[in-house]
Amino acid sequence: MKKKILVANRGEIAIRIMRSIQELDYEAVAVYETPDKDSRHIRLASEAVLLGDGPRCDYLNIEKIIKAAKRTGACAIHPGYGFLAENPDFAKACEDAGIIFIGPSSEVISNLGNKVIARKIMADAGIPMVPGTQNLSTGEEGVQEALTFAGKIGYPLMLKATCGGGGRGIRLIESDVQMRKEIPVARAEAKAAFNDESVYLEKVVLNPKHVEVQIIADKEGTTIHLGTRDCSIQRRNQKLIEIAPSMIDNPELLERICQTAVKAAKASNYSNAGTVEFLIDKDYNYYFMEINTRVQVEHTVTEMITGIDIVRTQIKLAFGKPLSFAQKDIQLRGHAIEMRINAEDPQTDFMPEGGKTVSVYRSPGGYGVRLDGCVYQGYTIPQVYDSLLVKLTVHGFSWNETVSRVRRCLDNFEISGPKTTIPFYLNIVQDPDFIKGNFDTSFLENHPQLFEYKEEPNEAEKLSKLIAEIHHRGLNPYAQ
Amino acid sequence: MERIIQGTPPSEVIAQLRKADGYYMTNTARDLSQSDFKNRILLHTDLLAAPSRERAGYFSLEITGGASIHVDILRKQVDPFLKLELLREKMPNTMFQTLCRGVNLFGYRPYPQNVIRFTVREFAKYVDVWRTFDFMNHVPNMQAVFEEVAKAGKINEPCICFSTGPEHTDEFYVKKVKEILDVTGTDVILCVKNHGGLGSPQRIGQLVNAIKQSYPDLPIHYHGHNTDGNDIGRIVAAVVNGASIIDASDSSMTGYYGPPPSLTVIQALKDQGYKAVGLDEEAVIETSEVIRDQRQYYQDFESQIKGFQPTVQIHKLPGGAMGSSLEQAAKGGFLDKMPDILHQELPRVQQELGNYWSVTPGSQILWTTAVANVQGGERYGNPSGDLRNLLLGKYGPFPFYQPEEWIYEKVLGADWKKVLEQEGGMDEIEDMDLDHERTILGKKIGHEPTDQQLVLYLQHPNDAVNFFKFEEEFGKVYVLPPAIFLHQGQFKVGKTLSFTDHHGKEHVIEIGPSMVNGDGETNVYLNVDHHQRIYSYAPEAKEGMAAAATVLSKEEIRTLANNGDIRAPFAGNICEISVKEGQEVAAGEQVATMEAMKMQTPVVSAIAGIVTTISVKVGDAIKPGAKIAKVDIDE
Repeated sequence: MKKKILVANRGEIAIRIMRSIQELDYEAVAVYETPDKDSRHIRLASEAVLLGDGPRCDYLNIEKIIKAAKRTGACAIHPGYGFLAENPDFAKACEDAGIIFIGPSSEVISNLGNKVIARKIMADAGIPMVPGTQNLSTGEEGVQEALTFAGKIGYPLMLKATCGGGGRGIRLIESDVQMRKEIPVARAEAKAAFNDESVYLEKVVLNPKHVEVQIIADKEGTTIHLGTRDCSIQRRNQKLIEIAPSMIDNPELLERICQTAVKAAKASNYSNAGTVEFLIDKDYNYYFMEINTRVQVEHTVTEMITGIDIVRTQIKLAFGKPLSFAQKDIQLRGHAIEMRINAEDPQTDFMPEGGKTVSVYRSPGGYGVRLDGCVYQGYTIPQVYDSLLVKLTVHGFSWNETVSRVRRCLDNFEISGPKTTIPFYLNIVQDPDFIKGNFDTSFLENHPQLFEYKEEPNEAEKLSKLIAEIHHRGLNPYAQ
Repeated sequence: MERIIQGTPPSEVIAQLRKADGYYMTNTARDLSQSDFKNRILLHTDLLAAPSRERAGYFSLEITGGASIHVDILRKQVDPFLKLELLREKMPNTMFQTLCRGVNLFGYRPYPQNVIRFTVREFAKYVDVWRTFDFMNHVPNMQAVFEEVAKAGKINEPCICFSTGPEHTDEFYVKKVKEILDVTGTDVILCVKNHGGLGSPQRIGQLVNAIKQSYPDLPIHYHGHNTDGNDIGRIVAAVVNGASIIDASDSSMTGYYGPPPSLTVIQALKDQGYKAVGLDEEAVIETSEVIRDQRQYYQDFESQIKGFQPTVQIHKLPGGAMGSSLEQAAKGGFLDKMPDILHQELPRVQQELGNYWSVTPGSQILWTTAVANVQGGERYGNPSGDLRNLLLGKYGPFPFYQPEEWIYEKVLGADWKKVLEQEGGMDEIEDMDLDHERTILGKKIGHEPTDQQLVLYLQHPNDAVNFFKFEEEFGKVYVLPPAIFLHQGQFKVGKTLSFTDHHGKEHVIEIGPSMVNGDGETNVYLNVDHHQRIYSYAPEAKEGMAAAATVLSKEEIRTLANNGDIRAPFAGNICEISVKEGQEVAAGEQVATMEAMKMQTPVVSAIAGIVTTISVKVGDAIKPGAKIAKVDIDE
């Protein structure tokens, strides 16, 4: 009997993972909540288990998922990203149930998930870090620690939830008064969101570039990196566009960052695939931010420039196999760009278009083009999950070739029904700064013109709408 | 003699007309469309005809004005200004002519002075010859238009509306001409506007002669309709007696109520020794050949009743109103009463109401009153708001005599004398705050309106906004031929439709299957330039109880009204709601205004009470018997 791997996720990443599972000649087991009953990830799996009516709570229900794995006889679980991916309790539950968790050990997840522990590990290993505090003490004592730190470093500072992540639980503090006010608020919020009220402070790096390194480690501790990714183009700390490798024209610096990432992974006893995130300031100082212990949305750009199937590698490593390639085998070839085609309206602050049906879906193709999506013609976007329709990843020999390929692909998309981020991306790929590779985390803020476009159906589409109505009604209702 | 080229200064045009050896011809395509095709000839067809019409060398092409501007935006979904712009591109040498209703412009009711002037200024950018009339021949009603046309450097063509009867003497009309020329000066063209196609050739010849006797230098433009089949006789008589310009249109499209065929006119006059100046007969013939094939797509808009109507000499309905009147009779189910209405009641009402000229909006007042008199039982028992205004003198003084007192009493009530004294006479219409209107329109359409959009909005507020929204959604649809735009029934699956859009891009649309899904929604599949497009339509509301319940008899409607249940007395549109829910109303107080056939009629509460429900909104098209409002007796 073939080995079965359960994919504890939905949408495009579930499909992405299943593809690698099937290529390894294993069987993929899907899980789903009722609102996802028409999702494509179910169709691709060899079997699917309904977890419950959700929404979202069943994908987060460890017990139900372990039960589904046992019932279907799955020997391993891939958590994808989001949901339970970085929940140490889930990894632990798998370990306890004798199911292979495809990712690092629960202990590593737990350590790296706690910002203060993670910072301590990194500090001990000599990894450069943004100056910051330990967890602030509770009450007035903590406030005093904060004010002292502020006096030393100066404002602005970031007040962060220790267990936060993905851009959540972060606030900018610019004065003592604000500090006093915000600490209790941040604590209450952290308690509500992460069930842990710990907070700490960090120096603010102004307009940094967000550069991360993909690392891979086997259980024997062999750790290599797959080069850098630039994820600076973000809105409200959510990544929109990712690029590999980083466009910083300083190979020595990038090499140093990669080595630092490997060192960080080793320091934390990391195994499986992970991402070490750094901030780089304008003087090319770089600071460790965190290690993400999951497969990233943007892993595709790294796959494109290295030729390594990261998910396939994850599975093999989780099954105890040693790395089948060494650092010297990793060659970065060309450039890759990934854009998240979301059903959102950039002009109304990225308001999601959930509930709308995709009446027409046509995708680009051709050389250097990769699509990872869950959308199909007739797909109704569930209102209760994220609005990602498809990830467009392109690869090109030169940066210019890659940018023009993205533009061509964006032009080739035909999506009717929901509004999408495509017209906004089309503006980005035609922006002179983007074309020059010149962007940091303030890119969108400093380029408000990117939000200026008019989405108008062309004249033929408008006229055909009238023709459709004449045809349907059997007369022209506007001529009677 | 050469044709007159567009752009020639008005004084030179007039000079050329004065020394013309022969006559000029205006192609009244607008009137052809209005009279014989309920105004539905599309710009697409006019653009097809444009190259040969341009070569034909007409004095002018009447292509705008009358009811056409309203119908352009309401039923043809074309911008009346864009229409002129596109035609001008293809017809650089031909003057464009309009028909303007004076103070009523292109609508049915008097407009404020500043609206009139603004509208004329905007249209005068495209229109060279302004044929202006007033249905009461009340010259002050046309003055603002005259002035703006002169200011714009365009040609004024004031009209005397013509009719028949003992009062309609040469002497009367010559005096009218003097009144006009006193205002306009003599560098104008005078139009004898025979909108009904009334009188014999002899009568028209005699009138033209009489005017020529008094004003030998005044170029006369004879405008007629072929309703009785004899307009060519009248045209010949007019030319023989000195008319310089006559109206006709393309033979392959001519019908029964509009202009006569141009080529027939040319042939008839040729033998009498009158030459059509500047006219290229071959181009005239070619135009007819080019558009002949299009006629089949307009057949639904042709008259319900075929054949000439020599009895027009009795009922005097203008050609432009024949089609719509017959349509209303057919839709209203009283075609069988037409002989009564047309041959008995209409002439009677005309006599009773002062024998004025049966042309818009006066013709609608006569028609609606006659229909109401026949249909409603009691004569003048259900007077329209416009009839009331007519008696109050809001349109101008009666030209010959006033209606008898009993009619005033019927229409204005027992204390009619007091009403007449207090409300009678022409109103000074206050200027509108155009900046304010511009702001309101901007809000409605979501962007700063152009001057042209504002002009259309000021004429027809609801319909203009609907049109602007239509255009935003469906684009510039004039590019669609009538075979598509007026198509009846479904297209065949697999049929390809091709057209060139406004920007000159060619497109092919292939009709795909239509599929009904589980929710009863229909998905229509089209291949648009080889790309699939799907359009979804909600299931049609079932014709059930609600629709059936609205079919009520007049008596039932009256009974309901006496119980406070106010129903629509006829089919029409709600153009105003005068009360709010919770408001007290007196018996006889107006609750809404309905419009049908260009006529506004107040809908009143039969009882005193409190308005509890309003079931309609402005712009609703409702059937007779449809609920308008509910009034509860206040206890």
